[in-house]
Amino acid sequence: MRYLPSAPSEDRALLDAIGVGSAEDLLTGIPAALRLNRSLDLPPQQSELDVLRTLEEMAARNTRFRARFLGAGAYDHFVPSAVDTLTSREEWFTAYTPYQPEVSQGTLQHIFEYQTLVADLTGLDVSNASLYDGGTSCVEAALMAVRLQKKKNTILISQGLHPHYQEVLCTNITPHEGLKLVQVALTAEGVTDLDDLKAKLDGDVAAVLVGYPNFLGCAEDLQAIAAITKPAGALLVSVTQEALALGWFEAPGKLGADMACGEAMSFGNRPSFGGPFLGFLAVKDAHKREIPGRVVGQTKDLEGRTGYVLTLTAREQHIRRDKATSNICSNQGLVALRANIFLQLAGPEGLKGLAAQNVAKAQYLRQRLLEVPGFEAVHGAPTFNEFTLRYRGDLKALQQACLAAGILPGLDLTPYGEPLKGCILWCATETTTREQVEQLIEVLARIPVHA
Amino acid sequence: MALRQRETLIFEKSVAGKVGLDLPRLDVPAAADTRPAHLKRSGFDALPEVSEVDVIRHFTRLSKWNYGVDDGLYPLGSCTMKHNPRLNEKTAALPGFADSHPMTPAEHVQGNLALMHTLQTWLGEITGLPAVTLHPSAGASGELTGVMLIRAYHLSKGAQRRIILIPDSGHGTNPATAAMAGYEVVELPSQTDGTISFEDVTDPTTGKVRKGLAALIREHGTEIAGAMITNPNTLGIFEYRIKEIADLLHGVGALLYMDGANMNALIGVARPGDFGVDVMHLNLHKTFSTPHGGGGPGSGPVACTKALEPFLPRPVVVREEAKRGEGEVPAYTYRLDWDRPQSIGKVHTFFGNFAMLVRALTYCLSHGGDGLKTATLRAIVNANYIRKQLTGTFHLQYETPTLHEVVFDDAFQAKNDVHTLDIAKRLLDYGFHPPTIYFPLIVHGAIMIEPTESEPKEELDVFIDTMKQIAREAAETPDLLHQAPTLTPLRRLDETTAARKPVLRWTKQA
Repeated sequence: MRYLPSAPSEDRALLDAIGVGSAEDLLTGIPAALRLNRSLDLPPQQSELDVLRTLEEMAARNTRFRARFLGAGAYDHFVPSAVDTLTSREEWFTAYTPYQPEVSQGTLQHIFEYQTLVADLTGLDVSNASLYDGGTSCVEAALMAVRLQKKKNTILISQGLHPHYQEVLCTNITPHEGLKLVQVALTAEGVTDLDDLKAKLDGDVAAVLVGYPNFLGCAEDLQAIAAITKPAGALLVSVTQEALALGWFEAPGKLGADMACGEAMSFGNRPSFGGPFLGFLAVKDAHKREIPGRVVGQTKDLEGRTGYVLTLTAREQHIRRDKATSNICSNQGLVALRANIFLQLAGPEGLKGLAAQNVAKAQYLRQRLLEVPGFEAVHGAPTFNEFTLRYRGDLKALQQACLAAGILPGLDLTPYGEPLKGCILWCATETTTREQVEQLIEVLARIPVHA
Repeated sequence: MALRQRETLIFEKSVAGKVGLDLPRLDVPAAADTRPAHLKRSGFDALPEVSEVDVIRHFTRLSKWNYGVDDGLYPLGSCTMKHNPRLNEKTAALPGFADSHPMTPAEHVQGNLALMHTLQTWLGEITGLPAVTLHPSAGASGELTGVMLIRAYHLSKGAQRRIILIPDSGHGTNPATAAMAGYEVVELPSQTDGTISFEDVTDPTTGKVRKGLAALIREHGTEIAGAMITNPNTLGIFEYRIKEIADLLHGVGALLYMDGANMNALIGVARPGDFGVDVMHLNLHKTFSTPHGGGGPGSGPVACTKALEPFLPRPVVVREEAKRGEGEVPAYTYRLDWDRPQSIGKVHTFFGNFAMLVRALTYCLSHGGDGLKTATLRAIVNANYIRKQLTGTFHLQYETPTLHEVVFDDAFQAKNDVHTLDIAKRLLDYGFHPPTIYFPLIVHGAIMIEPTESEPKEELDVFIDTMKQIAREAAETPDLLHQAPTLTPLRRLDETTAARKPVLRWTKQA
């Protein structure tokens, strides 16, 4: 077995030194009745070439589309070559959590830079070292808001929040007795209904979670929402499922959000069937001691040189056990590294320029779709790289026609509530070409519409 | 080590006008700006202006200040720092996998679903627990999923139980998880052989009596939802009464959760499902060789009994036999089953850290069933070799046989005012990553060593000699240890000030 450093003579020497005849003799601590006395029912050992072939065959069973117009929380963006080559250095990808700072300054300084960039993007003061994904970042933000306001028991979630994020929130909030999740409706314009929000903002509300832009692609007016949530004493949590949108829309912190969380896989990562992704969370300085997860801080070594360490550990599970701010132990280190490298390459101009290209491509796609019989505009709010259109034709036929032509269409929103029946969520990014849009239009134009 | 001893923050290298990314050609009209004025993105304070060369050099230099598994032994106990095969990286990056979108209709991601179903089946075989979810993002996420399954199970029986039992040797994530799932934690004491005590335990110094498992079960009975037990435990000792523990718990309707952090000691040797475990998590980033990435991403699948299966996170990957003519080879199709009325719901935005699942499956195929067992045995041999060679040089609190790891402590060295931290820091000077230290909490000054199966005898011998040398230094020149490390890029860092006056981001100097 190529991964085992086993030569028979050395194996023997190890066993002799221990004083046993065979490795099985070291299992005496496991009662014989509890041991497995047969081989595992798994395939036999394979060579590297054979394994690669098996996996290549599996990967080939997935359709490779020639054009994709699906976003909904996982986005196709170009990944600069430097991201892959740098992160494939063993010093980055094979290292553990930086428990020994003297030999982990690379990881620690990277996380410090990542935290700085997340704070900058969100317009807030403090970021943690990352969380699992967008959905769980909402859970951590909501639980943090409740810790900050112990007498309150309600979390309001805008219906514009990604439905999967809503479900992850529900899964994780349900076990907390006394905590309530309450939905706030959307208007016909696809944004949070401010009247419904006002009506539900009683003294028990700890936090309001709003998508920015939301699941339907619409940019919420965070400033107007903050003007309502603040007087009610609730914390406003901005949830961004497409972090590149923060290169186009104003930073949530500058519009009055108290916390910003969401999904930053778009920075240097691939869709990979949904993971690993990159949850982020940024908060105000006053709240930093309640932030969940790993946090890196700057300090000095014995000789006065600047260095970095894991800090504020008094919040964490290995110290506080059942009183910890969260059970989280890992972060998304390597995914955050990809984001950090990507953001440094992009810089302010690259990020804004890339964001503007995403808007341009989506606008072009939207305009061309609206020229196809059967498509209608639904919302008027400003959008980023996603938007919702109603289709008056047969949605199933549309999907089948696209898939048959090797095109992955936008998301059918019919399962997500009556007002969205017959609607499709479309996405275009900088990777979408005009030619791909025209290929899509050609396919759609051939579908007969009787509406 | 790097030749260069300083690499400033990237922000200090920023020069207006530098770029590291050229925008693609825009083949459509430029964006029309429909944003109201206050929603237009204002400037950035930190995003640097640097070139690709600057970024490559920055991260290459920083990387040289890290210690990785490829640098040598990484004996962090309970962390299972084994070799990260390069083939795994290659398969995870295959475009068919890496470019696939999680909301693609199932018939167009049959490869992904087949992979997930296969891995689920194999993890079920490995654990002896037939129902598996791959969604949890990491160990702690797996624990939370598992405890929520237990909660859903009790609720389905109309009972709201409130207590989870956790041994004092358990990982910190266990009590933190139980609290996050709304449970009260009651601690199980360890007995003198390092395993869970059935009897009450009297603290020899304080005289305080802590109730053992038997008394706690008598006292709390049906208030107990379950117990979270690591096996082998964090001392590397197999909880040899685990079946009895399971029976006692089951006797009051409670369930047994196993923290699978130490599963590297059991694969192919014993199966949790066979010794009474109801639900457990696996750490693919420990046992199944997916890289730690400097702290993540991990992956923490959960395996459970049929009784808990209805509560698994949705959607569940299911396999269906496609209709074929007689005599033809059966073909399977896979789909995502969202219609799970008793499911606890989603625990991840999509289906977990899929790229880690590709790596884990690759690892399983590379080993085969028997190869996995060989790896387990080698990990146990390596740990016992270190134990044998260092016993006497370092104090061993528990003499019970151990499997894949061994926990020494600093009792011998403390006489010279040399403590575990000093020993760990001195190891850095010798070019080794130190073991896990000060954990488990039940061993004062713990030094927890897990070599894994990846280490050749030669590397173990150098480590053992180094540890012996450090023990000599502790007796003869203790100040060397107090001062250590001196050969690393930085020396000991001031963690107290870091926590008291936190500086958590760079800010532009005015």
